[in-house]
Amino acid sequence: MRRVLILSVMVVGIALLLWAGWHNLRERRLAMQQARDRQVVLIPEKQGEAGEQAGEMPVMRGKAAPAFALTSLEGKKVSLADYKGRPVLVNFWATWCGPCKVEMPWFEQFRKQYAAQGFEILGLADDVDAGKDAIAKVASKAGVTYPILLTDGKVQTAYGGLDVLPMSFYVDRNGVIVEQTAGLGSKDQIEANIRKTIASGAPSQAGGQ
Amino acid sequence: MRRLLLGISLAGLSMGVAAAQSGSLTSSVVKTKQYIVFASDEQVVTAGKKSTVELHFKVNDGFHVNSHTPKSELLIPTNLTLQPAAGVTASAVEYPAGTAFSFSFEPGEKLDVYTGTFTVKIPVVAAAGSHTVQGVLHYQACDNAACYPPKSLPVEFVLTAKAAGALAR
Repeated sequence: MRRVLILSVMVVGIALLLWAGWHNLRERRLAMQQARDRQVVLIPEKQGEAGEQAGEMPVMRGKAAPAFALTSLEGKKVSLADYKGRPVLVNFWATWCGPCKVEMPWFEQFRKQYAAQGFEILGLADDVDAGKDAIAKVASKAGVTYPILLTDGKVQTAYGGLDVLPMSFYVDRNGVIVEQTAGLGSKDQIEANIRKTIASGAPSQAGGQ
Repeated sequence: MRRLLLGISLAGLSMGVAAAQSGSLTSSVVKTKQYIVFASDEQVVTAGKKSTVELHFKVNDGFHVNSHTPKSELLIPTNLTLQPAAGVTASAVEYPAGTAFSFSFEPGEKLDVYTGTFTVKIPVVAAAGSHTVQGVLHYQACDNAACYPPKSLPVEFVLTAKAAGALAR
């Protein structure tokens, strides 16, 4: 009887040990896989890859850009509808986001370069705690002259929740999001997306509308 | 022989249970969208005597968070706030020094960050008994190409204060 009891305890013990080992291994593999997936999303190697594999991030490409009306640093009311008929880059950034500040001077350069095609950039500061002065200081340091708008908490939700910064939405002249990117891309990728946005819905392609 | 078999069995059992419980620092955090994991170890101190509680955190691989003293006022520091707990008097939290870090695209700008595991120390004086202490770790994480909105990680640990004699035993 005792022998049976001891054997039973042994079997249960070994089974528990095996199960725990398997469970831990599985959890670790899952966590590693998820970390790897996230890495792919944030550091795209190819143009247009960001966003496509953005797991939890809703894909906004092909959808109408959510409307917004926000206040600029100068206190002016600015809405996306004001730019109807023009290609617009809607860029979410924050003062505490290093990668965001890297691409801002590039945006400024491309804004000038593609101004003739009506291209505009709207920088939406996704800062809850930073004051207006801090936001203005960072924008000025980056050499930004495009409108910087203060977010209202609702616009972030409308654009999918924004769990990552920088986040950019390339909106064509018809108000459709033609590209979305999460994280810092290369300068070439950004320019390619701008060109794609300008070309999308252009009069020659849209049958002369 | 029987004793040996029993010993092996019990050892197997305890190892199995321990293995199932371990991994609090390696468990998946994606569900809660946190980038730091807190190890909720039980803290045992001497009642009525100034002691130090150590809280262990782990930053997920591939990420970093600002240290408590980042090099720019615009950056959000890692900060632990504890709620008052009856029978526990906590002094100012002591944070570890950060390590230098710079983004590959901005090598000139040095940040002061925590990566991997880091330990926060709290000087406490606790009355005899078991106390549950709650708090929040506020932090902001980035990886090599992106940053994530500031997060609040709930922190809770059990602080058991025993009489000096009981602790020695």
